[in-house]
Amino acid sequence: MTGEKKINIVLAGQGNAGKSSVFNYLTGLHQHIGNWAGKTIEKREGTLFYKGYTIDVFDLPGIYSLTTYSVEEIISREFIVQQKPDFVINVIDSTNLERSLIFTLQLLELECPIILALNMLDLAKKKGITIDFNKLQSIINAPVIPTVASRGKGLANIIDKVIELKEKKPDHGINRYGKEIENCIEQLTAFLQDINLPYPARFIAVKLLEKDSDITKLVLGKKPEILEKSRQLCGNLEEIHGQDSSVVIADERSHLAAQITREIEKITKKKEISLSDRLDAITTHKIIGYFVMILILGGMFISVFSFGNWFSSWLGTIFKDWSDWWNSNVGNTFFASLGWAAIESVLSLVQIALPYILPFYIILYFLEDWGYIARISFLMDHLMHRMGIHGKGCIPFIIGFGCNVPGCLACRIMESKRERFITALLVTFIPCSAISVIIFGLVGKYVSILWAMGLYLFAIILVYIAGWLSSKIVGGEPVELIMQMPDYKTPHLKTIHYQTWDALKEFIFIAAPVVVISGIIIQAINLAGWMQAISSFLSPVTVNWLGLPAITGILLIFGILRKELILVMLAAFLGTTNFSDVLTSQQMITLAIVSMFYVPCVATISVLWKEFGWKKTLTICILETLGAILLAGLIKRILDFVF
Amino acid sequence: MDNKQGITSLADIKDGQSGIIVSILGGRILTKRLSDLGLNSGTEVKIIGRTLFSGPIQIEVSGSRLVIGEGLASKIIVQPK
Ligand SMILES: Nc1nc2c(ncn2[C@@H]2O[C@H](COP(=O)(O)OP(=O)(O)OP(=O)(O)O)[C@@H](O)[C@H]2O)c(=O)[nH]1
Ligand SMILES: [Mg+2]
Repeated sequence: MTGEKKINIVLAGQGNAGKSSVFNYLTGLHQHIGNWAGKTIEKREGTLFYKGYTIDVFDLPGIYSLTTYSVEEIISREFIVQQKPDFVINVIDSTNLERSLIFTLQLLELECPIILALNMLDLAKKKGITIDFNKLQSIINAPVIPTVASRGKGLANIIDKVIELKEKKPDHGINRYGKEIENCIEQLTAFLQDINLPYPARFIAVKLLEKDSDITKLVLGKKPEILEKSRQLCGNLEEIHGQDSSVVIADERSHLAAQITREIEKITKKKEISLSDRLDAITTHKIIGYFVMILILGGMFISVFSFGNWFSSWLGTIFKDWSDWWNSNVGNTFFASLGWAAIESVLSLVQIALPYILPFYIILYFLEDWGYIARISFLMDHLMHRMGIHGKGCIPFIIGFGCNVPGCLACRIMESKRERFITALLVTFIPCSAISVIIFGLVGKYVSILWAMGLYLFAIILVYIAGWLSSKIVGGEPVELIMQMPDYKTPHLKTIHYQTWDALKEFIFIAAPVVVISGIIIQAINLAGWMQAISSFLSPVTVNWLGLPAITGILLIFGILRKELILVMLAAFLGTTNFSDVLTSQQMITLAIVSMFYVPCVATISVLWKEFGWKKTLTICILETLGAILLAGLIKRILDFVF
Repeated sequence: MDNKQGITSLADIKDGQSGIIVSILGGRILTKRLSDLGLNSGTEVKIIGRTLFSGPIQIEVSGSRLVIGEGLASKIIVQPK
């Protein structure tokens, strides 16, 4: 064996083509997968060992063009150019061949070795689409491999091809434009031969004609006189076509893609309307669609609640006698009681949080993989505009119901900085699964399910008001919605299973240590006799203004680490999960409201910080804390009349 | 000039109808973004449906589905078929 047996490959392609599915299969890692475009937001690296080779695989965000208008496009283009991967695997959604080829044609201009993975062939077949691979292969002169990434089909063939072609990389065909454009390209490339930039001369020429700002800047730094020439050529093109030169080129490229598609694709239209089409018509119907949405989300709510309650009570019966056992067998010395505090914290976490989080994630991932999320965005777009953002903002919201951290990160699918910030701000008002634990486990279980629903509704109204206010304060108009509408897919059980398991693992491995340590600290504070001092220090707020027991002061402080701690620690500290013994109904509701809206948890704070800087983050934290305390106190005073 | 028979904006054609894009009234960036998604002059667009009030429009372009805001749709000029 001689030489390096290392290969780099990059997965590139349009949103929702199945890149991460390929990545996960090859590397065994677990990138987020779901049926909507824009899930992958950062590049991710993984390794595959195969037939003696070490293959580095990179997963990139989905992009639609190599002309740099969005951050993702800049990241991806530079990555491909600078990393010089051995192969770019262009993952293509076969059911959207024409649109996908527009991107493929641009990749070819980068003159890097590519392999086409024609993915989702199962769906194409269902739609009656047949594709002539050999013809496509000979037109673009690059290997074409049929795949079904969700079932791992054809993926080994890609790697075999990579290994086979490693030494003799193919020269791809290059798309030819019309005569006038080719003429311009030729004139420009003549000047560009010795420019010494990492891009091929032809690519630079085309991008200059497309007025790509990044490339223009690069050329300006090297040979500014070329820009003079390209401006003049652009002018010529514009005179002939009566359109901006970038549009002329884009048009030609699309026509070429359409032409190739006509040559290789055959569609035998099926007569009967498929189930997925029917579901689509119902779920996006202008009136019925909204009822269905309420049914689906309401159904989700009720199933999470009823399953959670049942499971939580069942766990309660199992853990019932453990504390007595500990006391009689280990004793209740100082250390023994610290030990029990640690165990009790974990038990409370399992009993209180797990039962609600588990069904929540299963349903969320199901809806996501099915394709319902994009439908919600469609239905909600109009309403979202009132909050100064467009319909895609629903996606971070929905993810935020699981956890605010990925919710805030998902705000990157919003196109402008302004919208990203407003959306992220609103995500912090969304009750995440940890807060749902408090809403369900405390209010739902001991006050009534209606009150729990009321709290959710309240949160949504608050999001609406906050959105309306902040869009007024920030100003500006919402960007218009442009979104891919994925077909419904049969949800892939294995994917849902993996993703749920990942979410739970993260929950257990991150939450459990925090809970144990907090449990021990609180117990130690208690045993040391400081509890009184801390509690009474906070009591003007907790007791006098909010009408809560003094102990909640310290719980709310620990709650900043993780919100479910508030309830879990309460249970652990009181030694019971029967909260109605220690809290009145209105105290439960008040506590839930404070927990919902006061400062975001540390993990969310750190993401906000990273995305928007410390000034905005600090402002959010301070305003939300003050606002939540004020609001909860006012509501408590109203509740005094109700109960 | 613009009074060619029947030319109208995409926002104004009915559900289920289709039209061929004549031009896009927008800057370079918008036109380019639409073009990357397959919306160019000369392509056929079919309206699948929309939501109540002035909500977004669901369209089909060469076999793939897109959703675009109503304001944007009114900038896309089409010849109804
Ligand atoms: N039926 C079918 N579904 C697939 C196939 N490949 C991927 N999927 C599904 O398509 C959806 C999108 O897959 P992803 O792997 O997340 O796509 P992506 O290209 O990484 O998407 P972004 O990161 O959003 O750009 C998921 O619901 C997958 O389960 C396939 O070959 N057949
Ligand atoms: Mg992905």
